[in-house]
Amino acid sequence: MSSYTPSSRAARVAANDGDDLHFCSTCTFSSVCSERGYDKSRLRDLHVLVEHIGPFREGQHIFREGDRFNSIAGVRAGTVKTYITDRNGREQVLGFFLPGEVIGLNAISQSRYPCNAIALDEVLLCNFSFSKMSELAASMPGLQQQLFRLMSEDIGKATLLAGDHTADERMAAFLILMSRRYASPDMPARRFRLTMPRTDIANFLRLAAETVSRILKRFQTDGLVRVERRDVELLDTTRLMEIASNVLRN
Amino acid sequence: MHARKEHCILPRMTTTPVFDAELLRRHPQYGPRYTSYPTAPQFHEAFGERELRLHAERSNADLIPRPISLYVHVPYCFSPCFYCGCNRIITRDLQKGEFYLERLLREISMVAPLFARDREVMQVHFGGGTPNFLSPTQLGQILDSMGRHFHFSDSPTRDFSIEIDPRHVSPGDIAKLAQLGLNRASLGVQDFNPDVQQAVNRVQSIEQTLAVIDACHDSGMRSVNVDLIYGLPQQTLEGFAETLATIIKAQPGRLAIYGYAHMPSLFRAQKQISEEQLPDTEMRLALLALAVERLTGAGYQYIGMDHFALPDDDLAIAQTAGSLQRNFMGYTTHAACDLVGLGVSAISHIDESYSQNPRDLAGWEVALDEGRLPVFRGMSLDFDDTLRADIIQQLMCQAEIDIEEIERRYEIDFNSYFSGARERLAKLVEDGLVEITATHIVATSKGRYLLRIIAMCFDNYLTSPNSHGDSPRFSKAV
Ligand code: SF4
Repeated sequence: MSSYTPSSRAARVAANDGDDLHFCSTCTFSSVCSERGYDKSRLRDLHVLVEHIGPFREGQHIFREGDRFNSIAGVRAGTVKTYITDRNGREQVLGFFLPGEVIGLNAISQSRYPCNAIALDEVLLCNFSFSKMSELAASMPGLQQQLFRLMSEDIGKATLLAGDHTADERMAAFLILMSRRYASPDMPARRFRLTMPRTDIANFLRLAAETVSRILKRFQTDGLVRVERRDVELLDTTRLMEIASNVLRN
Repeated sequence: MHARKEHCILPRMTTTPVFDAELLRRHPQYGPRYTSYPTAPQFHEAFGERELRLHAERSNADLIPRPISLYVHVPYCFSPCFYCGCNRIITRDLQKGEFYLERLLREISMVAPLFARDREVMQVHFGGGTPNFLSPTQLGQILDSMGRHFHFSDSPTRDFSIEIDPRHVSPGDIAKLAQLGLNRASLGVQDFNPDVQQAVNRVQSIEQTLAVIDACHDSGMRSVNVDLIYGLPQQTLEGFAETLATIIKAQPGRLAIYGYAHMPSLFRAQKQISEEQLPDTEMRLALLALAVERLTGAGYQYIGMDHFALPDDDLAIAQTAGSLQRNFMGYTTHAACDLVGLGVSAISHIDESYSQNPRDLAGWEVALDEGRLPVFRGMSLDFDDTLRADIIQQLMCQAEIDIEEIERRYEIDFNSYFSGARERLAKLVEDGLVEITATHIVATSKGRYLLRIIAMCFDNYLTSPNSHGDSPRFSKAV
């Protein structure tokens, strides 16, 4: 079965896979090492920890709530969704992870994963064994810092939409934040593809799916965005930022 | 597919099409009509219910899911027209309509849940066969059920249309159909000449036909379309000229002039037509030229392919605005709908897929009786299919291709990606049908009547440029 027509390079091109000496292009840790000018043998030390896993197919679980935590994983390609199931059996979407982002960080303080992670399309991962990673971090301060930074970003992402905000504010904030996360040197983030289905976006924003579409239609009529299928183009970032300002202030 | 792309509000089609018989004569190729790309012969049976459900789910996942367009096929006809190439069953047994209706209602209730409730139905079309084989009451039941299971748009621009055989409908019925919300009607006429009507087994008086057209206008329908056919047995220039004059006087908003395609090995009814009575190529061209001349003379605007419309008709307005679309039902003003086909042989176009219901009544019935979605073949479109479909759609609707727009949307280098197509186009450039600039490929005023030949250059399933030359799978391009 064909995949959704790729119109953005980011959706089509998987990470440059790296080799024994080089990291994948999306690896969040590679810059730490390169910046510090670590030599190749040192790089290899770190790379030993890395194991490429996948592909996971759409709808396949990567880990489930309660599974033993032993590794964090960088997303090399695809989109991962994390969620929990509430007491009434209803799914609650916690977040989305794009290429270059790391899943499993919220499990570091515990011995088990506190949520489920599922692939929304074809997903490739880099698994980092966490015990070896912490060993190495002890002798590599840059790595230590990078880990802390990732962890606090992760917490920030999760609490961002928790406040009491209007539907418009949530939607605008979501678009602004996603455009920042999709930004990459070869793709201006003014145009990006939201790889998650609208029901997941709605769930994440605590809105009805119909509301997501209704707001986007209105944003479109007002000249703020242009939407085609899952592609979004931000036409008026200034006004979107204004609408989102309550959410983004924190 | 981007065959259904967003509106682009630029004035287009400013060149008036020029009918050049000499050119048409030199391109007597056969070609697909491109109501879809890839065309139906590419559908395969590995595509089934599971694939259809996946595509439907994916279509709901869009940020703003597309509106829905519903097509209902009614296969029954009272008598066989000999030129017919439709999927139809000849009967006078009205009871069959009742059984068919029952299963249609079941299909509606099975198919509707595949689609998110907030997706509006912008278009409904009843086609056939003869939709008015069913009574207004029966058609009302179908609309009623669709209205309950789907979410009908209440926009004034929604199009609810029906094909009508004027021989089997009364003006009173038309008023009832209008009351049901049907706001566009399409009438089969073909030719009023009695000899032609005899030869094709479709005798239909002028009075009867005009009464139905008037009834459509009187009951407030937004437009009436009339189908004419050239290339029928016994057709003469004089006779066809009279038909054209009569129809023009009735002022239908839209007109289609189809070329009769004689393919008796595919369509059994056509065996009744003797080849000797058919006009030759010269005559076919003369008939077409006559139609073009009379219609444009009467103020009709050429839309594309076989279609004409009065300048104040929605189709002509959309064409001028560059927002015209094309799907299985022909040209439409509705952008980017997912098309859901109901009934025997009906074709759907959902997300990046085509699918078709069984073409035999029994196959369709059995599937529904067993609680299965009645899909028997189809295909998922890949990147290349989608890209080419977009290009062919642009050609058919705007008569030009915006190279930069395509490059931006698909992130390709147009000239290297389409080096094969460029080679095939070269001949058409020589003939003055196409002009190529750095940014656009444009059908010239002469090329506008040969859009399908230009489109064929981009058809990846017609591999070598000449292999399709005499393929009897497709109807004549002219
Ligand atoms: S042309 Fe129309 S009315 Fe005539 S047999 Fe075919 S489907 Fe029926």
